[in-house]
Amino acid sequence: MKKALVIGGGLHGLSTALHLARTPGWQVTLLERRHVGRHSSGVNAGGVRRLGRALPEIALSVIAAEMWQNITALVGDDCGFRATGQVKVAESTADMAKNEARVAQVRALGWSHEEVVDQVEVRRLLPAVSRHVVGAIVTRDDGSADPMRTVMAFRRAAEQAGVTIVEGVAVTGLEATAEGTIRVDTDQGPYEAERVANCAGAWAPDLAALTGETIPCGTKASMMIVTERLPPFVDPTVGATARALSFKQTAAGTVVIGGGHQGRNDKAAETSTVLFGSLAHAARIAAEIFPCVAQARIVRSWTGTEARPPDDMPVIGESRTLPGLFHSFGFSGHGFQLSPAAGAAVAELMARGATNLPVAPFTQDRFTVPA
Amino acid sequence: MRIVVVGGGPAGIRAVEQLVRAGVTPIWIEEGPDGGGRITQRPPPGFTRDHAALYGADAGRARRLHATLDAMKPRTDWRPDTLVWNIRPQDKVLHTLTNGAAQGEVAYDALILCTGAMDRVLPLPGWTLPGVTTLGGAQVALKSQGVGIGANPVLIGTGPLLWLTALQYAKAGAKPAAVLDTTDFLTKARFGAGMLWNLPTLLRGMGLFAQLKLRGVKLHEDITPLAIEGVDGVTAVHWRDAAWKEHVTPCDAVGMGWGLKPEAQLADLAGVPFDYDATQQNWVPRKDVAGRAPVAGVYLAGDGAGIGGVEVAELAGARAALAALGDAHLPSDMALTQHLDGRLRTERRFRKALEQAFPYPAKLAARMEDSTSVCRCEVITAGELRAAAAADAPEVNRAKAFSRVGMGRCQGRLCGTPAAAVLAKALSVEVPEVGRLRGQPPVKPVPLQQVG
Repeated sequence: MKKALVIGGGLHGLSTALHLARTPGWQVTLLERRHVGRHSSGVNAGGVRRLGRALPEIALSVIAAEMWQNITALVGDDCGFRATGQVKVAESTADMAKNEARVAQVRALGWSHEEVVDQVEVRRLLPAVSRHVVGAIVTRDDGSADPMRTVMAFRRAAEQAGVTIVEGVAVTGLEATAEGTIRVDTDQGPYEAERVANCAGAWAPDLAALTGETIPCGTKASMMIVTERLPPFVDPTVGATARALSFKQTAAGTVVIGGGHQGRNDKAAETSTVLFGSLAHAARIAAEIFPCVAQARIVRSWTGTEARPPDDMPVIGESRTLPGLFHSFGFSGHGFQLSPAAGAAVAELMARGATNLPVAPFTQDRFTVPA
Repeated sequence: MRIVVVGGGPAGIRAVEQLVRAGVTPIWIEEGPDGGGRITQRPPPGFTRDHAALYGADAGRARRLHATLDAMKPRTDWRPDTLVWNIRPQDKVLHTLTNGAAQGEVAYDALILCTGAMDRVLPLPGWTLPGVTTLGGAQVALKSQGVGIGANPVLIGTGPLLWLTALQYAKAGAKPAAVLDTTDFLTKARFGAGMLWNLPTLLRGMGLFAQLKLRGVKLHEDITPLAIEGVDGVTAVHWRDAAWKEHVTPCDAVGMGWGLKPEAQLADLAGVPFDYDATQQNWVPRKDVAGRAPVAGVYLAGDGAGIGGVEVAELAGARAALAALGDAHLPSDMALTQHLDGRLRTERRFRKALEQAFPYPAKLAARMEDSTSVCRCEVITAGELRAAAAADAPEVNRAKAFSRVGMGRCQGRLCGTPAAAVLAKALSVEVPEVGRLRGQPPVKPVPLQQVG
């Protein structure tokens, strides 16, 4: 058996470990500094969305969407996935024009999941939407899942596939050995493996830096708010064309509002906190698009920390300084949906050095300044 | 120097009094329409029951507190009906909501949190029926509105508040169907000696007991509550006596409470660390003897800083204000400071004995049936919480994430204590080992529109 280590117990680390453990010949250990799902993986909005993806992400996202439709087959649990659709509303004719151009562009590339709908159809899909909404882009079989449940399902599946998960272990160093393996030093002794995955989220660039590789990357601490329970009034997850919004009603009746509004992030302390000034903006947008929530009460708010490269797209690829180390991080607030497919791609890269899955656009070489 | 006092109860009143004495005009924020606190809860204007009828043996204290409250209001920036729902400690700013509508921000240099306490509950089958309330709620209804929770309520729990509530109901004309105390007589007797540190209070407590007996109220000790029965309201309480015999006591309402827990969410959001106080069986924000938190500029007093009762709250409120004044190099009364420190030391010994005499029945909570709702906001049963424990939730925050316990309107303020007991038992660890629910703003629900 060949040994592999996955660093980071978020959803991408778990998915990578799961897929690699199901590849014959690999023995996988996952190291997590705190506990599985500690940061953004367990607390994100749970959007299972192809709609509005940056063009280089669409191919991977489409494959991931197929995996989500059969998520029970992958991890033995439905992860709370509901294909209730995703709708991005247009609030003006300018928005509509933008939407039509966008969908034309996506269709020209051969993808048909995004669809422009008119005011009649958007009101049928979202009876509670404000009267000023003029239309939307819709992906009907997108949806949402329960992030914490998803993390736990991936964990269980990974363990059943033979992954050893070790929590409370922090990586302190990475280096090549004379035998061609990688030694991973931790605060609780060294590990050794032939392949290592860097799925450490916001802290992944720091691990890359330990091997002398600089990958430009910032952090994100997207904020979420949740209301008390309301009677059911909306099925799909809703966004807006020109404004930052993510809005959905859970099965429990609570309304979860996000949209990438940023909290305060303290990477060293591994915490992030809510900034209500910017959350107020999200609340205002939500109440304008769904007037019925204006009087609803917020019961909680939270943030989760993750990595964000300058172009808001992930870094997936082998290290340029330490062969055998593979990066997978920087999903920039939209990695939840990609996780089943991205994990499969990284596992394949680790096992055989190549993959047919469409992750080529995400190598860190895109940040290299030409000499 | 912007000093903000949050809370208009006994601790807040005495803190403000010292600040005003030193020539400071604090901003004074109170969540309710008036100050006075809970144990000395004040009725709205126009209600005619006098202090003696409302507060019994505490009438003198209540009268003095209310007089100071009224004298201080015009000498401070008094802001009633104002909820502090978030703190940005980095910027020293409070987020407030006034009259449920007006959003505000209040900057501070020093912050004195006197945020009070609430009852601890023990979930029972039927505890979410209409007609079931906390002992604190039952008291507030009587004192503030002149209404009782019922004409023949059963009062269940332990601690001085149990007897006090029973007596207040009896005096107000209700006939309590039974007073059911989960603590046995021996435990009370064993720690009773420690309460000699405050003889007047001990005697007042014993006086309550005697008066209840005189009024023919049935008192039962060392009982186990089994269930509250009813369909649209409460009709009876099922319980078991010390001899393991089961009883059904018909009643029209239930008040329940097992001591108090600090309402310390604001201290949490201010970044104050918490320690588990094994005597109180509560998580308590850290502070020194003067009430200084380890976060610069933050002071804590009253039951919100660890349960001490009304007398301690008054002393600690004054003491915290003197600490804030001293730290800001403003004049503070050294003699008074020394006097307060001495009294607070004595009171702590008394309080320790009191808490030991009336323990929270964590064992009963831990044994709760799987079908009983622990979290009433999200309707999560003890069984579901135990399933979360089995699915690798070694502490309460992850149990919350897996099970939704503590995610609802109350944010775990009510269910936190019993949930920790259930979880600890399921994991075979001690209660402090499962930790404490991390605070998340808003402290209480805030309308979306007001945030926007």
